[in-house]
Amino acid sequence: MLDFIKRMQLQKLLALGALIILYLFFAYFGRNFVSVPTTLSILSRSYFVGFLAIGVTFVIITGGIDLSIGTVMMCSALIGGLLFTVFGFPLWLCLIIMILVGTAFGTANGLLVTKLGLPPFIATLGMMMVSMGLGSILTNVRAQNFPTLLGENAWFVRLFLRTEGNIPTGAFFLAGYLILTFIILKMTKLGRYTYAIGSNEEAVRLSGVNASRWKMITYMISGTSAGIASIFFAAAYTVMTPGTGQGFELDAIAAAVIGGTSLSGGVGSVTGTIIGVFIMSTLAVGLVSIGLRAPYQVFFTGVVVIGAVFLDIQRTRRANRVKK
Amino acid sequence: MLYYQTVVIISMHETVSNTYILEMLDIDKRFQGVHALKSCSINLRQGEVLALVGENGAGKSTIMKILTGIYMADSGEIIYFGNKVHFKSPKDAQDAGISIVHQELNLMKHLTVAQNIFIGRESKGFFLDDRSIEIKTQELFDRMNIKSIDPRSKLADLTVGRQQIVEIAKAISFDAKVIVFDEPTSTLSDTETEVLFKLINELKQKGVSMIYISHRMDEIKQISDRVTVLRDGEFVGTRDTNDVQISEIIQMMIGRVTYEQPKESSSVPPDAPVVLKVEGLSSIDVEDISFELHKGEILGFAGLMGAGRTEVARLIFGADKKTAGDIFINGDKVDIRTPEDAVRNGLGYLSEDRKHFGCVLGMRVADNIVLASLSNYVNGLFLNEKKIARDSVEYKEKIDIRTPTVNQLLKNLSGGNQQKVIIAKWLIRNCDILIFDEPTRGIDVGAKSEIYKLMNALAKEGKSIIMISSELPELLRMSDRILVMCEGCHTGTIPIEQADQHAIMTLATHHLERGA
Amino acid sequence: MKKTIAIIIVLVLSLGLLAACGDNNDRDGLYIAVLSKGFQHQFWQAVDAGAQAAGEHYGVEVFFDGPESEADIHVQVDMFNQQLALNPDGIALAALSTQAVLTQLQDAYDKGIPVVGFDSGVPEAPAGQIRATASTNNQNAAALGADHMFPVIRDKIEAATEADPVVIVVLSQDVTSESITGRTRGFAEKMHQLASGVNSSVAITGGYPAINTGDAGAAVRIEVVVGATSSSVDMATAASGALTLPGLIGFFCSNEGAANGVISAINAGSVVPAGVPIVGFDAGESQKAAVRSGIFMGGITQDPFQIGYQAVSLVVRAIRGETIGDVDTGAQWWDSTNMDNPDIALLLYD
Repeated sequence: MLDFIKRMQLQKLLALGALIILYLFFAYFGRNFVSVPTTLSILSRSYFVGFLAIGVTFVIITGGIDLSIGTVMMCSALIGGLLFTVFGFPLWLCLIIMILVGTAFGTANGLLVTKLGLPPFIATLGMMMVSMGLGSILTNVRAQNFPTLLGENAWFVRLFLRTEGNIPTGAFFLAGYLILTFIILKMTKLGRYTYAIGSNEEAVRLSGVNASRWKMITYMISGTSAGIASIFFAAAYTVMTPGTGQGFELDAIAAAVIGGTSLSGGVGSVTGTIIGVFIMSTLAVGLVSIGLRAPYQVFFTGVVVIGAVFLDIQRTRRANRVKK
Repeated sequence: MLYYQTVVIISMHETVSNTYILEMLDIDKRFQGVHALKSCSINLRQGEVLALVGENGAGKSTIMKILTGIYMADSGEIIYFGNKVHFKSPKDAQDAGISIVHQELNLMKHLTVAQNIFIGRESKGFFLDDRSIEIKTQELFDRMNIKSIDPRSKLADLTVGRQQIVEIAKAISFDAKVIVFDEPTSTLSDTETEVLFKLINELKQKGVSMIYISHRMDEIKQISDRVTVLRDGEFVGTRDTNDVQISEIIQMMIGRVTYEQPKESSSVPPDAPVVLKVEGLSSIDVEDISFELHKGEILGFAGLMGAGRTEVARLIFGADKKTAGDIFINGDKVDIRTPEDAVRNGLGYLSEDRKHFGCVLGMRVADNIVLASLSNYVNGLFLNEKKIARDSVEYKEKIDIRTPTVNQLLKNLSGGNQQKVIIAKWLIRNCDILIFDEPTRGIDVGAKSEIYKLMNALAKEGKSIIMISSELPELLRMSDRILVMCEGCHTGTIPIEQADQHAIMTLATHHLERGA
Repeated sequence: MKKTIAIIIVLVLSLGLLAACGDNNDRDGLYIAVLSKGFQHQFWQAVDAGAQAAGEHYGVEVFFDGPESEADIHVQVDMFNQQLALNPDGIALAALSTQAVLTQLQDAYDKGIPVVGFDSGVPEAPAGQIRATASTNNQNAAALGADHMFPVIRDKIEAATEADPVVIVVLSQDVTSESITGRTRGFAEKMHQLASGVNSSVAITGGYPAINTGDAGAAVRIEVVVGATSSSVDMATAASGALTLPGLIGFFCSNEGAANGVISAINAGSVVPAGVPIVGFDAGESQKAAVRSGIFMGGITQDPFQIGYQAVSLVVRAIRGETIGDVDTGAQWWDSTNMDNPDIALLLYD
């Protein structure tokens, strides 16, 4: 059992505990908190952040960062909406293109970081602006609409968000993606190299592994995840506004950090990240249920992130101390 | 002259054997103008331990990096088991059975022992099979007689010594025929070193050839069969370990003709007041350092790379945290916790890494000169540009900084003149004790002698100087006394009258009894 | 390590507890959610104040929230979702995008939660889902401007003849948007009505044909001038042209853009003929300065306090089952004499 806890990593366990405590707290003090609509509200705002956060977790574990995911997601959604409403593409094709747009941006990030040797922070910051600009240029700064549950193509919302009967269908996709990425990280070569690069990239290279190629793949995963996230964002929010999307990347990174992923690389897990996502959305919905406005969500999320980073630094320091 | 003779002797020696499994012939390598290896050759026999020694920058690590595919040689060839080979990557070398244990640990601390050893050699399929690499690791450990390491433990949970063992196990796991050890014992305790030596002997029995880079002469005597000496990127000679005295090896390492005339005797009177006294200074890097610095004296700090000379300087300057020891300036005990405290007490430190710590290349010469004493150059909120210009011009002339104007950007000056600007920076701050850390590194010969002249002039004026240098001739020419360090300890202080390269190198390679 | 974790958890929870205790979480009374298009803007602060005042008056709990920027459609969607989950008794909404909240409106409708619009409301919402809207009636508001301007120029209107006509200019940024056409029509028609009382020859002419009464040769002309585009440069050009019209006796700007056009024209050298009153709609920064310095006579502003107040009272009445209809939240006249009164100053948002 002790071994199990050790393997789980303390911080992830803590995050899970915090999530449960938060939920119980709001269940007791919040208005109508334990109910179907509240649960749906927590879920529907978690889907897209969940995909973004899972994707960026790969990059963070390698010791990098991807700041472009929020605007890449919005750019994908805008392109999808444009093709759907203006060019009349079938919706399913638009969805595939949206994912591919994300992959393309991820590939571009990966090339900038591995081939041109740009620091990830700068490369993806640049790509953040590029994707935001591109979305605005292509749509001529016009908002793009997606189907709702009420009109034509309602299957889109029914499949990716919820049905009229309140079945949270989006959750199945997120769970599936979680399992898939969990397997990749823990049981495949890609996952092993992801952790290894974050631990000591030079050592990986000197071991005869093409580290750049694997690092590149993590950026592609991050971009692709942003593309997938755009589908769920569109399903939940219908209207896509050009020039927005900035800020979602920080939510996703915060979720990863809360879930125990270390910004210095080498440590992290997608399960922890998902716990982080739900801590943030439970906090957001919960604070409203006790009558606090939006700014308080931002405030408390900030407190949680600072706490999580503080723990991360404590742990890193401790690890370094053992070494001496 | 001396140098020429040694070469002749060696080439005779070299014709003895033709059973080499590895020969590196006429390897040449340049890095941006630095000629790191000058047609350098080494060879290796089956089942032997070849010690590779030389001063800092002699080219030991470079030639090993070429052997293991990390660098590519500009010219020359590698003959391996009779075939000409060409390693393009570490993987090529590993596949051929050549692996290296790096000086810095090259492991992934968040992965387990087994995962570290088999990184890059995971199973072919889509899924990883940790169980099988754990079994393989255990088998490897059994063969190596390692009992205390669990293949499943996280590397970060192991001591540094055990991490080193893992690194060695990894090198062996490639079915290596040649293993390079780059200063493997620098982080090991004595018991761990013994384990390593036992391991090396066992490998030798199995016919594995090893190249062992070290500064520790006693170790080399103990473990190696032959010793190859490199100097300034050139092959100097190879000796059978049993037939050679440590003093001869040191002579081969130093070798070069000294251009600078050593100082004959100290001009500092023995009763000159002590301006700086250090007692029992310790930190995680150095142990129990004590010395005195007299007024007008130049005290040289000698030692090999990593001996802890810079660390002592940084401790005195308050840049690192000391764990014990006292510092006295002019007889008064001072409490220096930050560089700011040090400067207030009249200490100035010229960093060994000018570009990183010493100066701001993108700023004007004048700005650099007043940088450390800026508070003397303000009128209320604004900088007093007139005073800055006046004083910087004064120092430009005083120490002869060659620049058309003090408004020139520092990066446009030569290395020697940049160094002078930094000296001016501390002089203008009225520092009486100056610590010069490698003051002539990267400076051409002409500029060097100007720096020497300036240092001598400063000493004559009554400033006291600590000079850290890796170039022995330079220390011998400048210092009044030379303090020698080895592995964080003060191993001796030699008055200039008795100092020569041999005496210094003996103290600098003196492996102290540890664990006392 | 364990200690730091404990400290953090305690800190977070205690903050949460404090917050919870500080808030009156009374489940007995009615709970009404007011979702605006913004929050930090002074205009919305005034709407909030009005909504809270109404809440106090009716004894209901009012929760007011809005996104930080008008581009944050998804934030408003989240807020709507969250409020629906709380089962409120009623909702007042100023939608950033009707399309984005269609599902939520349907849900509210299905649950029987009444939704009313306020400010710009919920345009093009499905029939029946918005019970009523509390907003400024632009036509009435602009007419207020005519009421205040008329006494000043009454003598000149009375004295005007077809041989020596006078002109009152209405400068409009466009004649397509609903709010501006409403204001243009409101001022022009009210002035026409008042002027007709003292002079028999009055006509509306110019750029908004829908309200023209033809006769360009009338003694009193109310001339609508429309900018070539809504850009500030074109508005300034239109304004400087209008200021040189012979017989100019009054000038009305239908929004802040038009008022700024006049100010730009004056800054660029145009001269306002002596004694010509200028009245503007809205209350921008430079507009306020112009009023303070006497270049402008005064202005008309919406009443955000009333917008908030009326929105909540509409919701309360809807919950009580009363039949409700759209409410005009009124407008306020402001000039240099009253602009510093606290209750007026509150309305002069930038």
